[in-house]
Amino acid sequence: MDERQPLTNPATGEALAKREQPGYYPGFSTLKQKRYWDAATRKVVEDRVSKQKSIRFFTAEEARTMLAVVDRVLPQEDRMEERRIRILPGIDERLYENRLEGYRFEDMPPDQEVYRIAARAFEEMARALHDRAFHELSVREQEEILKSVQQAKPQAAQELWKQMNIERFWTMLVADVVSIYYAHPWAWDEIGYGGPAYPRGYMRLEEGEPEPWEVEEQRYEWGAPSDSISDVEELHAGARDHLVHPGQAGTH
Amino acid sequence: MQRIKIPQRRFKDDDLIDFAIVGVGSAGGVLLQRLARAGFTAVGFEAGPFWDTERDWVSDEAGSHKLYWNDLRITGGEHPLALGANNSGKGVGGGSVHWAAFVPRFHPSDFEVYTRDGVGADWPITYKEIEPYYDLLEQEIPVAGPAWYPWGKPHGHPYAPHPMGGVGDTLIAGCTKLGIPVSAGGPVAILSASHGDRPHCIYRGFCIQGCKVGAKASTLVTHVPDALKNGAEIRDCCMVARVSMAKDGRTDGIVYFDAEGKEHFQRARVVIVCGYALETPRLLLNSACPGQERGLANSSGTLGKYLMAQAGNVILGRFENLIRMYKAPPAHALTEEFYETDPKRDFARGFAVQTVGPLPIAFAKQMMAAKGAWGWGMRREMMDYNHWSSLGLLGEILPWEDNRIELADGRDGRHDARDRFGLPVAQVTFSLKDNDKKMIEFGKNKVMEIMWAAGAVEVVQESRYAHLVGACRMSKTPDAGVCDKFGRTWDVPNLFVMDGSVMPTQGSANPGLTIQALAARTADYLISQKEAILSNSANGRRDMSEPPCRRSLAPPGTFTRGIPHLR
Repeated sequence: MDERQPLTNPATGEALAKREQPGYYPGFSTLKQKRYWDAATRKVVEDRVSKQKSIRFFTAEEARTMLAVVDRVLPQEDRMEERRIRILPGIDERLYENRLEGYRFEDMPPDQEVYRIAARAFEEMARALHDRAFHELSVREQEEILKSVQQAKPQAAQELWKQMNIERFWTMLVADVVSIYYAHPWAWDEIGYGGPAYPRGYMRLEEGEPEPWEVEEQRYEWGAPSDSISDVEELHAGARDHLVHPGQAGTH
Repeated sequence: MQRIKIPQRRFKDDDLIDFAIVGVGSAGGVLLQRLARAGFTAVGFEAGPFWDTERDWVSDEAGSHKLYWNDLRITGGEHPLALGANNSGKGVGGGSVHWAAFVPRFHPSDFEVYTRDGVGADWPITYKEIEPYYDLLEQEIPVAGPAWYPWGKPHGHPYAPHPMGGVGDTLIAGCTKLGIPVSAGGPVAILSASHGDRPHCIYRGFCIQGCKVGAKASTLVTHVPDALKNGAEIRDCCMVARVSMAKDGRTDGIVYFDAEGKEHFQRARVVIVCGYALETPRLLLNSACPGQERGLANSSGTLGKYLMAQAGNVILGRFENLIRMYKAPPAHALTEEFYETDPKRDFARGFAVQTVGPLPIAFAKQMMAAKGAWGWGMRREMMDYNHWSSLGLLGEILPWEDNRIELADGRDGRHDARDRFGLPVAQVTFSLKDNDKKMIEFGKNKVMEIMWAAGAVEVVQESRYAHLVGACRMSKTPDAGVCDKFGRTWDVPNLFVMDGSVMPTQGSANPGLTIQALAARTADYLISQKEAILSNSANGRRDMSEPPCRRSLAPPGTFTRGIPHLR
């Protein structure tokens, strides 16, 4: 379980080394721009990077399950250990504070209940299908369980999953995970997003041109680990483009 | 970056103020400013905080959670709506803090879709009644946009159009290829040049997270300062729980909880509810009392019904070249070429196509929905974030009686859910009907066509909805709506509603400008009627004549701008 398969070079099949910063913007650092940010923003982002949150909502068992679940929803094996973004504490904090997104679907229990049921359900699926704990499963086994949940066809623990709309749970889980990962400056650097922009705004608005302090894109080819089924080619059956999801931001 | 002095208390609870305004958002902010400037005593009650934008707002997507109504609501129906950050603001400025700030007008046809197309309902006003207020608000906000906006009734704008961002270029490229006219650079409530103490836009792309610059208009910066200067009071963090009724069939004030949770009763001669399409009907329902058991002002039985959201599908396109859509205001170009009913299509009414600009977290969620992304697929899609462009459909869903907001009071099969004051929260039910589905199918495909024509190598979409109006609709007669054409409720002569909830239909235009225009017109009506409403001197007779448009009551220095009048 500790020795994960590496990413590979698709042309040669060779393993790719872990990176301090994956993504196509080498050397880009939003945090290096922080003296151009306003004080209130700087404080919020610095706290996010430095403050260690403890687990207060999940029990020790639930945390062990959900840590493994979150590691599959947003894998970070291509990152060096010390450059991985901690995700579970942020979810735990939201649930501990019962911080809502302003609505609950009528066919869903309250968020806190949903996650407790889900943690149990993942464990029950692992036991039923593989006779081991979820965190002891292989990457492939874990991903297949997740995929079956995404597609609303769980291979076990159906009685538990019946207590909620399982598709909505999946959107809540992924939404919660990405809300934490892509709020972190290291993730902004990974995707080449400029980060905070006040009081300094942007000047180069067209043609995707970088600001003087942004970097040009330098793409590299990479293949997901050989034991994973969650890369892009495998995705299409999981689209749920008709489902409104939790925490959906306004756009217009 | 405006420094607005936090308002001080001026009135005591048992002072008899002229106007109690519930909700200081788009409509409440305008009403408070007009009525204060006209010399009335007015207090605005806002459930959220009075923002210090430098201290309270952050240039950060995840950190902007507190701008929204995040308290529990229940959503259901066949096509449940997202609430919270999708459409519900909280705090002074309300929705105008987080709006994308597109400010197109409604079209003349919008006020009579029943007569023209046999769908929806006619408004009790026409474009003619609201036009002077469109002119005026566009100057006082002010609005930046093209000198010649060709759709609806063509008009110009006082501030010049904005430069394009990557997404605007996508829309222009696609529309040009297909021969579709497009409006570049507005109309948006975002300054393209400085105005008073408000600087122009710096193209930072954080409109939805609140404009720290002050370039994007919210009533917090456009109207509240002048309201305070003229003696208005704002009580923030005060949640109005009930509109109180006196024995004479008039309201005598409002019950509210202050920031410490202590209950108060404020006497007022007139109450205006401006809480937006959910909190306004919810308040009237929660104000049910003997003689008005179905909710206040609900003799028509329409309170809470005919709720509307617009289709807001987001179509995402991936390009070989870089876009970097996080720069520039999300709102900067649109086309209304498909707005009106086209007899060649199989549905009534139509849609607009607008630029949108999701930041990383919003975009990641869209990849989840549109492509089923997770795991390594999510990591890979997100690494390509800068290659994506996104366009929004904005489509006219019609008003249906059973699209509604009710109380989650546990009765008649409804959920039982309360807020921290023990009040039942809003339960929303929403389902698309046949015309809506056909419009969405056509509109979605048209936007995808535009995206392909712009050169995208991959196009996906996410179903969603935008804005929220209706549920307290205005009508010509008391049996068909909650209020008359000025927002005066039919049942309670000194109780008004004035916000998006009064709309009988919604068009394919973002509602913000129309809400502010209607609010200014209602203010003029109140000023003209004065004692007839404030103290019932007319003995219940309702004078329905249109008031004059009082341009001099706009905030100073706003209404003399030149507007191009190209023919």
